Amino acid sequence: MKCKSDFPNSRPERKKIVLAPLDPVHDVGLKLIRRKLVERGHEVTLLPPDLSPEEVVARAKALEPDFLMVSRAISYGTSELLAKFVDLCDASGLRERTKIAAGGLSMRPEMAQELGFDAGFGPDTPPEAAVAYVEGREAQAVECERPMSKVDLTAGFSYEFRDKEIGDLCLRIARQLVNWAQDKTSPGVERARLRLDMEEARAAGDEKAASEIREKYAGLCGGEVERWYRTGEPVAHTRLLSDREIEEISRLKEGGHSGDYPRSQDILARYNVFIQYGTGCPVMDAYHINLSLAFGARGVIHFDPSWGARTEGLLEGAWSHQHDGTVLTLDNLRLIKNALLPGTMWQVRAHRGLNTPETVILAHLAGADLTKINIVYGSLGAGTDPARLAVDGIESMRLAARFGLPYDVVTNEELCGVPAKKAFAGMLIVATAGVLLGGRPILQPLFANSPEAIIAGLTEDNFIDFNAAKMEVLREIIDAPIWPGAPVGFLTQSQDRCQSSTMTALHAALALKIGAQAVTIASSDEAYAGGPITAPARVDTLKTTAAALRFFGSAGISPSRKAKDIAQELRQGILDVLKAVAERGDFVASLYEGLLGDKEDGAYPGRAGRDTVKVK
Amino acid sequence: MSVRDRILDGCDLETFIVCGGVEEGKRLGLRLMAELGFQDADVVFCEKGGPGVRIRLRGYVYRPSAEYRWDKEEPEDHEV
Repeated sequence: MKCKSDFPNSRPERKKIVLAPLDPVHDVGLKLIRRKLVERGHEVTLLPPDLSPEEVVARAKALEPDFLMVSRAISYGTSELLAKFVDLCDASGLRERTKIAAGGLSMRPEMAQELGFDAGFGPDTPPEAAVAYVEGREAQAVECERPMSKVDLTAGFSYEFRDKEIGDLCLRIARQLVNWAQDKTSPGVERARLRLDMEEARAAGDEKAASEIREKYAGLCGGEVERWYRTGEPVAHTRLLSDREIEEISRLKEGGHSGDYPRSQDILARYNVFIQYGTGCPVMDAYHINLSLAFGARGVIHFDPSWGARTEGLLEGAWSHQHDGTVLTLDNLRLIKNALLPGTMWQVRAHRGLNTPETVILAHLAGADLTKINIVYGSLGAGTDPARLAVDGIESMRLAARFGLPYDVVTNEELCGVPAKKAFAGMLIVATAGVLLGGRPILQPLFANSPEAIIAGLTEDNFIDFNAAKMEVLREIIDAPIWPGAPVGFLTQSQDRCQSSTMTALHAALALKIGAQAVTIASSDEAYAGGPITAPARVDTLKTTAAALRFFGSAGISPSRKAKDIAQELRQGILDVLKAVAERGDFVASLYEGLLGDKEDGAYPGRAGRDTVKVK
Repeated sequence: MSVRDRILDGCDLETFIVCGGVEEGKRLGLRLMAELGFQDADVVFCEKGGPGVRIRLRGYVYRPSAEYRWDKEEPEDHEV
């Protein structure tokens, strides 16, 4: 990140400047301007606060400056005071040799000019602009750029187990899982292979081959998706994008808005803050992405409709959807990619349903940087049959490794009520399998007020200890990247915009300050279910997250001693769960039998895709 | 093109309405949105405190997959 606010190298003509606060106390802005002016070699006199306008004019007249710059922070009576000040300057003859300017928190440039000042500076004006004015230069535009390069969230991690006891168990179970899946396939796995072949045929211009593959692909689809392949009848609540809508995305990219970045958000360039998009409409998504990046988001995550996870097969073409979630197709993804900046990290989530391997392929073909793969949450909390998702998940991780796509492994089953010890055990097993398959998984603990935390009173006093303990225990177990989500602060946000944004920001700041590689944040609409997320709601949480990070700075956040106790208890719990799964000797059976979350916890083995796993 | 068409998705209005309770506040809030011409309006948040309610109202101008301004008229140069 760089700001184009550097001063020119040449020494300016020395000017005499008087600075005066028209307030009872000093405006820090004037002191900042004084420092900058002195650094540039100018002669500066800063008058004390609480002088009357008459006194300021009299003192300035005696000093005979080139410039008299006054500031006003208090808004009450500003225009009357400044009007009187200008009259006094005129009457005293001061303006015959002195230019007068006004600035400060209560100032607007147009107001200063209306009142007769030679120049006016608003509250957002950088001190460099005042210095440029004195030196007779045009103030250089203070343009802040967003990062131009992406970050590899997995760089520098060895994936070695620091906790050998837990590591040995994870390896034993993960090897069993990978071996179990080796001779199995599913419609999801088959379709992924067909999709890759089909797109390769299309890229090679072999439409005949593509058409034949498409026919086979359609035979492996189900429900409304199969109907669309057979008859062309759209899936409910979807319609094809118009040419104008498609053009709008290009226009947005070319429209010149990408340089308008609020300076207040520059701090987010130092962190990896992701937002989730999926309004249903790729054009609306492009707008939401564009403004989120302007307000400092480093990455964006594609959310598809919930029916996409429960229906066999993915559509083709550019579709708009009237409800939450943007339809997952290669065309939609390629359109949305147009809205990204060069340094934007882009995640296409694949994790929980019947199209997981194919989604990894689409993510790769569309140029995504990350994907999301999970077996346990999808099986126990998102309605997919455990055996099916185990086969598809293993294939997905194999594909992600082949394409060099890192992926997070979520623990969203905690939201169903599954305790963290079980969710973490599941996450560690899946991540270990991913590493065995050559991949680069990222651990994704929930940073939330989970049902377990509420019932056990773990967040009764604060929201720091439980979440910090999760990070600590994971770091003690394995050297792997951690990306809390998704989104952080879940179940702490309300429909109150201020409360919701604050909770999100504090959870994000906590995660980033205690060493997370990235965070995913919600909008301030997170707890509002009455309609789609709006653009200002997205900005709300990016603004508060930037403010929270600015507030904590390098001072950090310290958990209480209770966090250590929670971490120890969590480690023991994870160990016990892993022992039980290892003893069972069958990871998939463990999912069905509730070792990683049972009905009492709120976890139910899913039914979508049941009995679709076949031996090759 | 009306300014309303320049709104990307929804327009929120946050205020304090002097009233007897949450239900009355919501009713008055929705009436206000109707008076302002928002046909697709909702109460996002409403909380009683002292003499009335702090309320946030939302009027959706474009919901996803709606017929957008950019799909019905020639695009204009952006002024922003």
